[in-house]
Amino acid sequence: MCMAIPSRITSIANGMATVEAFGRSRTTSLLLLADEVAVGDYVILGAGGNFAAEKVEPEQAAEALAYLADVLATGQA
Amino acid sequence: MTFEAGLDIRLSLRNGAVEAVDIASTRLVQAAGLMAGRKPEQVTGLLPSLFALCGTAQGIAAARAFEAAAGWTAPPALEAARTVLLGVETLVEHASAILRDWPALLGEEPDLTALRPLRPLITASRHALFPSGGWATPGGGGLAPPPAALADLLRALAALRALDSEDAVPIRLMRHLAAQGLESFGASDIPLMPVGGPSDLEDRLAADRDGTYLARPDSQGRVYETGCLTRLAAYPTIAALRGRHGNSLAARFAARQVEIAEILRKLEDLAQDLTTAPTTTFSPAGTGAGIGLVEAARGLLVHRVELEEGVVRRYQILAPTEWNFHPDGPLVRGLRGAEATPDLHWRARVLAAALDPCVACSVEIAGHA
Repeated sequence: MCMAIPSRITSIANGMATVEAFGRSRTTSLLLLADEVAVGDYVILGAGGNFAAEKVEPEQAAEALAYLADVLATGQA
Repeated sequence: MTFEAGLDIRLSLRNGAVEAVDIASTRLVQAAGLMAGRKPEQVTGLLPSLFALCGTAQGIAAARAFEAAAGWTAPPALEAARTVLLGVETLVEHASAILRDWPALLGEEPDLTALRPLRPLITASRHALFPSGGWATPGGGGLAPPPAALADLLRALAALRALDSEDAVPIRLMRHLAAQGLESFGASDIPLMPVGGPSDLEDRLAADRDGTYLARPDSQGRVYETGCLTRLAAYPTIAALRGRHGNSLAARFAARQVEIAEILRKLEDLAQDLTTAPTTTFSPAGTGAGIGLVEAARGLLVHRVELEEGVVRRYQILAPTEWNFHPDGPLVRGLRGAEATPDLHWRARVLAAALDPCVACSVEIAGHA
């Protein structure tokens, strides 16, 4: 499934963000985002992870992350 | 697996040609199973965030599945509104592919400036038609489109007409393929998905206890191609391309471009007719099963739900990528037997882009001559 994993921004420099989800970090470009984002905000990444596609509200992110954690825990992956 | 899933395509060569194509998928095809135990409104609330990149298609497929389980048919006004929302999402997805991914196939940089204002239009379209937020609610959810909001939306989407110009990426990509003699590349003998899906779709989903069907669907042993090409197969220019080159790169890329113009035209028509839906008569099923079908940007998306006393007992999602990137599907058939040219890796990437998987996709060539 093309599931989107909300990832928390941990740092921003030169239009690139370091984002974290499930204890793993990666970098992604913020150039496609229409919204302003700051450290602590959640984004989802487009397929391939090169670009953040959308800012996600914290409650929505928490709900999706809880579900994804269950998916991982139950080995549905 | 802690990040978004992906597809790894591996080509094995022998005697100067592709002998075998293997696709390793880490897609979470059974993840929707954990919707069991939730109430319908929790499912329709969660799905669009979980699948945020095709959230409209997922939300509407879910609403339709719950409606089918209740034996309820959506009134024309609601169906029209859903067509608009799906059209906007498909336009944005097609534009994302064209502006972000296709330039790389031509060795160019993506056009992020043109793409940036587009994705917010998906959310804007939901707010415009369902101001109270219930766009994915089974039975409707307060459809009340104010004409001005729709007009704004159409004005913003009209920017996509620029993708039809002579120097835009789609035309240049098509010219490049023609110059390389690659219009027929990737042609497969895989049939196109019937409208409304295979006739045994619902039975096969119901019988799929171990998830095999969700991972590798078929219908009586037959695999289908689904997507824009399927939807536009009879459109005159696409039919002509298919006649000349088969279900190949040229037909698939052209279908994407034609569909943008077709959706823009359809949205303008629908915008004239959109009215507030009558007060809903929907009452959720206590117990029952149903499927919801949606033509999403990448093809047929199917949800199936089993409800027991108002609670989800079983939830399944079958996505178009499982057909198009099936181990015996159009990508594999399109690459098997291909000549091992120096640019084979690029050709395989182009074919994957033409079939448009909803996840990251890598290509590896083993056994170089």
